[in-house]
Amino acid sequence: MDKLTLKVTRTDGGHVSYGLRYRKGMTVLDALTEIREKLDSTLGYRHSCRMGICGSCGMTIDGIPRLACQTQISSLNKDTISVEPLHNMTVVKDLVVDISAFFRLHASMKPYLIRKDIEERDHSEREYRVLPEEVSKFLQFDYCIMCSLCYAACPTAALDPMYTGPQAITQAYRYIADPRDEGWKQRIDLLDSSHGVWRCHAAGACSFVCPKDVDPAKAIQMARMEVLKRQLLRRGGRAGAQLVPPPSPGAAKQGAKPPPFDMGQGSVKNQ
Amino acid sequence: MKEARRYKSGLIPSLNPLGFNVERWSYTLHRATGVILIGYLAAHIFETFQLGAGSAAWANTMAALHSLGPFEMVGLWVVAGSALYHGANGIRLILNEMFGKLMGKPILPVYPYSPTSLGRNQRVAVWTITGTVLALWVWAGFYLLAGLGIV
Repeated sequence: MDKLTLKVTRTDGGHVSYGLRYRKGMTVLDALTEIREKLDSTLGYRHSCRMGICGSCGMTIDGIPRLACQTQISSLNKDTISVEPLHNMTVVKDLVVDISAFFRLHASMKPYLIRKDIEERDHSEREYRVLPEEVSKFLQFDYCIMCSLCYAACPTAALDPMYTGPQAITQAYRYIADPRDEGWKQRIDLLDSSHGVWRCHAAGACSFVCPKDVDPAKAIQMARMEVLKRQLLRRGGRAGAQLVPPPSPGAAKQGAKPPPFDMGQGSVKNQ
Repeated sequence: MKEARRYKSGLIPSLNPLGFNVERWSYTLHRATGVILIGYLAAHIFETFQLGAGSAAWANTMAALHSLGPFEMVGLWVVAGSALYHGANGIRLILNEMFGKLMGKPILPVYPYSPTSLGRNQRVAVWTITGTVLALWVWAGFYLLAGLGIV
């Protein structure tokens, strides 16, 4: 492949095709940058880190929501690539969408640790005990970069603008599963509503497009079971993990056990 | 203040599974077969309701149905396929949504990523359902053709 055409959807809904020369290793973000630098300086798109961490360059590439910086043109196996804004969001300019509604949904789920005793949480000299096996229950959902690809791919979000969305529910579950959290009652009204966990129809598109394998489809089903269990058994307001003294500096030398998985090697998956 | 229009949002985009995972195709098929079944149910209720209007009304309804010729059987065949798919896929969805089965457990993501909720178990379930439903649907087709005296 020598030549490449990017068919970009502009703000007015029209499409503009740009011809480029393909370079080995070129990503869609590289192509868009080349267009803006050499062909059309009016083209609008958002990006920042260029390495799949910030989640800014989400756009619909060949019909699928993807991060432009993580999408190799060679992986698409096409000479002509369509690039559109993310679906289910309002367009600000060309490929830039307004993500404020998405962030409002995220914030609505109170994505932070909630403790009944604020003083204890904010000014404690001790720490909460969380065992490694407890961490492994929510760590996967902590890797979300809020790129909003899952929301753009979700067929339920396409039908229901009030739907909380896969990302927000995943974040809610991340904190529900955290043994330190005591915020169940503050999240349940939104989770257990017609726009909450029950609105998901398990299409799995969110997990399919997630660039970090956060697997929102799994988190939603786990949140759903947790809602069902706690509502049926009336066990909503459970007490969170208790404060424990920090380990003494010599604890490691005295034969303290290492955690059951090495977070750097990903051995939990391989077990 | 009027809310700005969302890009490619609404019914038609929500039903477009092109390029997506097989579960998303299942979602679209589940919706489509659900609509067919609701349509059939409404027509069926209307049809049986004619019994209350007397034997003449019932005979007229039957005559109208039979006047469709082979399309009546084709319609029934589509309804049979819809019922089979909607029922079988519905069981998978209940297992997914109510019991969390076939979804896997939380893992530590390792590149290249492969979400466990769309993993082997889920794919086996989807393709087993599709294959079984297709086989039964073909069988139902022969059964209905035999009713017409064609095979």
